[in-house]
Amino acid sequence: MSHSHEDHERTMSTDVRTTRRLSSVRSSLTTAGLAVTAMIGLSACASNAPQDTWQPAGENAQKIHDLQWPVFTVAGIVGVIVLVFIGVIVFRFRDKGQAIPEQTHGKAWLEYLFIAIPAVILAAIAIPTVGVVLALAETDDTECIINVTGQQWWWEYDYEVEPDGSICGFAPSAGEASPIITSGQVVIPAGTNVLLRGTSRDVIHSYWIPRLNGKRDMVPGRVHYLRLQSDTPGIYAGQCTEFCGLSHANMRMETVVLAPADFQRWLDNELEPYKSPAEGTLAKEGEATYITQCARCHQVNGLVDDKGTDDTSDDTVVVSYPDQFVFSGAAPNLTNLMGRNTFAGASWDLLTPECREDVWEASPEEFGEKYLAGVTEDCLNDIDLREWLRNAPAKKPMYADAELLEPTDGKTRGMPYLALSEDQIDQLIAYLLERK
Amino acid sequence: MAIIERPSDTVALAPSGAPAVATPDTSYGVFRRPVHTTGWKSWLFTIDHKKLGIMYGVTAMVFFIIGGVEALLIRLQLAGPNGTVLNADQYNQMFTMHATTMVFLFVMPMAAAFANYMVPLQIGARDVAFPRINAFGYWAYLFGGLLLNSSWFLGGAADGGWFMYAPNSSVVFSPTNGVDFWGLGLQITGIASLTGAINLIVTVINMRAPGMSLMKMPIFTWMVMVVQFLLLFAMPVITVALFMLMFQRSFDATFFSVEAGADPLLWQHLFWIFGHPEVYIIVLPSFGIVSEILPVFSKKPLFGYPLVVFSGAAIGLVGWGVWAHHMFASGLGPISVAVFSVATMAIAIPTGVKIVNWTLTMWGGKIAFTVPMLYAVGVIVQFTIGGLSGVTHSVAPSDTQQTDTYYIVAHFHYVIFGGAVLGLFAGLYYWWPKMFGKMLNERLGKWNFWLTIVGMNLTFGPMHVIGLQGQPRRMYVWTENRAGEGFFNIGFWNLMATIGSFVLTLGVLVFLINIYVSHRKGTEKAPLDPWDARSLEWITANPPKEHNFDRLPTVGHLDEFFHRKYEDRGEGERHDYHQVATAEEILAAEEASADKHIHLPSPSYWPILLAFSLPIMGYGVIYNLYLLAGGALLALVSMYGWGMEPHTAPSDDYDPPKGTELEVAAHG
Repeated sequence: MSHSHEDHERTMSTDVRTTRRLSSVRSSLTTAGLAVTAMIGLSACASNAPQDTWQPAGENAQKIHDLQWPVFTVAGIVGVIVLVFIGVIVFRFRDKGQAIPEQTHGKAWLEYLFIAIPAVILAAIAIPTVGVVLALAETDDTECIINVTGQQWWWEYDYEVEPDGSICGFAPSAGEASPIITSGQVVIPAGTNVLLRGTSRDVIHSYWIPRLNGKRDMVPGRVHYLRLQSDTPGIYAGQCTEFCGLSHANMRMETVVLAPADFQRWLDNELEPYKSPAEGTLAKEGEATYITQCARCHQVNGLVDDKGTDDTSDDTVVVSYPDQFVFSGAAPNLTNLMGRNTFAGASWDLLTPECREDVWEASPEEFGEKYLAGVTEDCLNDIDLREWLRNAPAKKPMYADAELLEPTDGKTRGMPYLALSEDQIDQLIAYLLERK
Repeated sequence: MAIIERPSDTVALAPSGAPAVATPDTSYGVFRRPVHTTGWKSWLFTIDHKKLGIMYGVTAMVFFIIGGVEALLIRLQLAGPNGTVLNADQYNQMFTMHATTMVFLFVMPMAAAFANYMVPLQIGARDVAFPRINAFGYWAYLFGGLLLNSSWFLGGAADGGWFMYAPNSSVVFSPTNGVDFWGLGLQITGIASLTGAINLIVTVINMRAPGMSLMKMPIFTWMVMVVQFLLLFAMPVITVALFMLMFQRSFDATFFSVEAGADPLLWQHLFWIFGHPEVYIIVLPSFGIVSEILPVFSKKPLFGYPLVVFSGAAIGLVGWGVWAHHMFASGLGPISVAVFSVATMAIAIPTGVKIVNWTLTMWGGKIAFTVPMLYAVGVIVQFTIGGLSGVTHSVAPSDTQQTDTYYIVAHFHYVIFGGAVLGLFAGLYYWWPKMFGKMLNERLGKWNFWLTIVGMNLTFGPMHVIGLQGQPRRMYVWTENRAGEGFFNIGFWNLMATIGSFVLTLGVLVFLINIYVSHRKGTEKAPLDPWDARSLEWITANPPKEHNFDRLPTVGHLDEFFHRKYEDRGEGERHDYHQVATAEEILAAEEASADKHIHLPSPSYWPILLAFSLPIMGYGVIYNLYLLAGGALLALVSMYGWGMEPHTAPSDDYDPPKGTELEVAAHG
C-alpha cells in the first residue's frame, strides 16, 4: 500500500515500513484463512436441517455445491481482508494531532490494480459458472420423466406410461401399467436421472428440494424442467419458494428416493386394483361417507358406488369433478394416501413423531422397507388429520373471507369447511387408513 | 416557469423587442400568488427547495417508523415456530407493505430530501430549475403514500409481495382492493420521482455556479444525477406495468391472464427492468453521501474522484443489463441465465472500485471519528458484506439454492440497510447543522450508531444462516420439523434476528430522542463550519437564507470551500497546509459583495392542488368512475391555474423575509 503521507517526525526507514506492511498483509491473510476455515468447519457441524443447502445428496446439487463453496470461500477471504484493512486504517490514521495530509487525488496505477484484481477473480468464477448452468440445463440424459403440477397449495405428480409400457423405466411385475397420479411426495428410483416436467394450474409456484437441486419456478402456461437425481435412498424435504398466496408457507413437498427393487414394489402397489373395505366394518361406512363427502373432488382410483344393492350392474364408477368446486380444478388423488406420510400439501405428518423419526432418519439400507410399510393404525398422527377433517381452512388458510370468492364464481382455493360430524370423521379415518 | 438566472446586476429582462417580462405591476394572470413567508401556509404553498427537502425528510421519517413497526410485527411472528401474532393474511400484507413502504416511501424520498436540499447548495444555485414542479413532486409523494396506506382501513392492504408477481396479483387471487391501492399509490409516487428526476437533471446541467465544470462537481451531486437518469428511464417501465395491472384488475384487461394467452413472465421482466436499477436508485445517493463525508473527516480529497464518478455512472449503466438475475429460477433458459450471471459479476467491479477508493481516501488521512464518520465507515463495512454475499449469488446455479430464501433477505438488507440507510443517517448527522442550525448530540449519536450497528448485524446476520439452512422467505410460519439442530438450527437464529430487530429499534429511538434533545430550548446554535467541510453548501449560512447565497460563488477547485480556507505553503513534494481564512470570514466576504438583485420564484397554490387531484382519481378508479372524472376535472383546472397564474406576486403583497437588508427583486 502506497504511502501518501509525508510526515516530518516519521523516522522509520522504508525497509522497516515495507516489512511491517508485508507482515501485516500476511497476518491479514492468515486471519482470513482461519476465519473461513472456521466457518466451513462450523457449517459441517450443522445437523439435520432437512433443507440445508450445503448438504447435497445428488449429482445436480453436488454440481452446485462444488461451485458455491469455493465462491463463498473467496468471498469470505476478500471480506476479511477488506475488514482487516479498514480496521488497520481506523487505528493507524485516526487524528492524533498530525498535520493535514497531502491533498492527493489518487494514484492511477493503484486504481487500475484494484480494477484488475476483482476482474480476474470474477472471470475465474464466471467460467465454471457458465459450465454448471449449461450442465444443469441438460435434458438428453433423462431416464425418467415425471410431470409435476403446482396449484394452491400442493403439488400433483403424474407418472406417464412410456410407449414400451414402463413407468420410469420400470415395467409392472404383473398386468399393464396405467398412469400413476399422486401428490405431496414424489417417489423416484435411486441412481436414475429424473426430469421433472412442471407447470402450474393457477399462480407461479417454485419446486425446490435443496439437497437434490436448486429451485425452478413452475409457471402457468409454460413448461419448465428440473433435474433430480440421488444415489442415496431417503426422504428429501422441500418447500414451495415462489410466493403463491395465502398458504404459501403450507405448500411443501418431499422427494422420496427408493432403491430400484423398492421402487419396483412401490410401483406394483400403486397399480394394484382397488380393494373395497370388508362389509360391516367402520371403514366400509367410511367408504360411503367418502363418496358423499369427499369424492366430488378427491379421486380414489377404482372406487365404485354400489348403491347398497347386490346388483353389480347398478354400480357406478366414482369419478371426481373438482373443476366445479376448486378454482385450480384439481384436488389430490387419495388412492394411496397412507402410502405417503404427509398430507395437505405435505404440510402435516400422517405419522406420529416417533414413527416419523423412525422413517425419516432411517439408514439408506433400511429406509425402503420402512417407507413402503406406509402409515399403520398405531403410527397414525390422528390429531392433525382430525383437525384437518373438522375444519381444513382453519388449519391451513385457504381464502381470507368467503364473501371474497366472487371472482372465482364461488369456487374455493383449497379444501373448504365440510361440517363433518365426529362419527363421519371416525369413519373416514378408518377408510383412509386402508388407502395404501 | 421560474428559472433562476446567473447573477446579474439588473433584473433579467426579455430580449428587446419582445413584450416586457411580467413584473409585479404588469402581471397578466388571473390568480394572485401566495406570499406567506411564515406559518403553515408558507409550507403548504412553498416552492423553496430547502423547505421541500425538509418536508420530504420529515414525511420519509414518518413512513420509516411505519415500515419499522411492520418489520417488528414480522419479526415477532417469526420469533418462534408456528407464530400466532399475525394470521397468514395479515402477515402477507405486512411483508408486502414493509418492503413497499421502506423502498418507495422511506429510502427513495429520504434520498430525495437530501437531493432537494443539497444539490442546489452544492452547485451554487438559488433553487432548482422548476420549483413548482418540485413542490408538486413532494405533494404527489405524500398523497400517493397516504393513498397506499389508507388501504389498511379500507379492506386490507396489498398482499402479493412488493414484486407483485402476476397472476397472483389478479382479482381472483387477491380479491380485496389492496393491490389496487398499491398499484395506484405507486403510480402517483412514481410521478413524483419522474418529475423530480427531470427537475434535478436540468438543474445540475444548467445551473451550476460559474467555474464548476462537471468534474469539479461535488460527488454527492454527481451520484444524485446518475440516480435521476436511472429514475428517468426506470419509472416509465414500472408505470407501464402498473397501468397494465390497473387495467387488468379494474377494467378486465387480460395482460396477465394465462387463460387468455398471457405469459406471466412479462410482468417479471417489466418489474425487474425497473426493479434492478431501483436498487442503484436506492443506494447511489448514500454512496454520494459517504463519498462527501469520508474526505471531510479524513482531511483528504476523495481518492480517485474521476474513477468514483465513472464507476457510479458505470453502475448506473450496467445496472440495466442485470435485471434477470432476479429471475434465475424463473425458467429463462440457460443462455439468458449465463449471460445475466456474468453481467452481474461485472457490476461487482465498479462497486468494488467504490469500496477501494473509500478506504484509500482514509489511508494516510487525519481521521476524526464523529458520528457522521462512524456511519460512513459503517456503510463501507456493512456494504462490503452485502456486496460479497451479492457476488455469491451472481453465480446463477448457486443462486437457485439461495433465491427466495432468507439468505437473499440477509443480502439485500446488508445492501439497503447497511448501504443506503446507514448512509442516509450519515447524511442526517452531517448536514443537520446545515439544515437546522443545531448540532445533533454527538454522545447520543454514538449510542444511536452502535445500537444500530449491533442491531442490524444481529437482525440480518442470522438470516444468512437461516437462508442457507433452507428457510424460504414470505412464510407466515416456520415449523420445528424443518428447523434442524445444533449451532445452525433455524429456531435459535430466528429468535436472535427478532431480538436484533428490537436492538435496532432502540437505535432508531435514540435518534429521535437525539433530535428532541438537540433542539431543546437553550441548546447552542451550531458553528458555521462544524466539520471543517470542503464543499460549496458550507460557504453559506446555517441554515441557508431563502436565496441560498448572497453572492453566487465562483468555483476554481473540486473542494472549493477547503481551498478557500487552506493554502499549501510547501515546496515541491513537501506539503504544508495553513488555514488562511475561517468560514466566518469567507461568509462575511460573500455578504459584503452580495448580489443586488436576487431572482427567486414565488410560492404557488397549484402544485398542491394538482397533486391532490391524483389520489382523488385513484379512489375514483377503485370505487366510482364519477369520482375519477371529478379528480380529472380538478387536475385540468389546476393545470390551467398553473399555466395562467402570474409569474410574480405584486410588490405590495410581498412580505420580505426578516433579517435581510437585501433588495429581493422580481419575486417571479
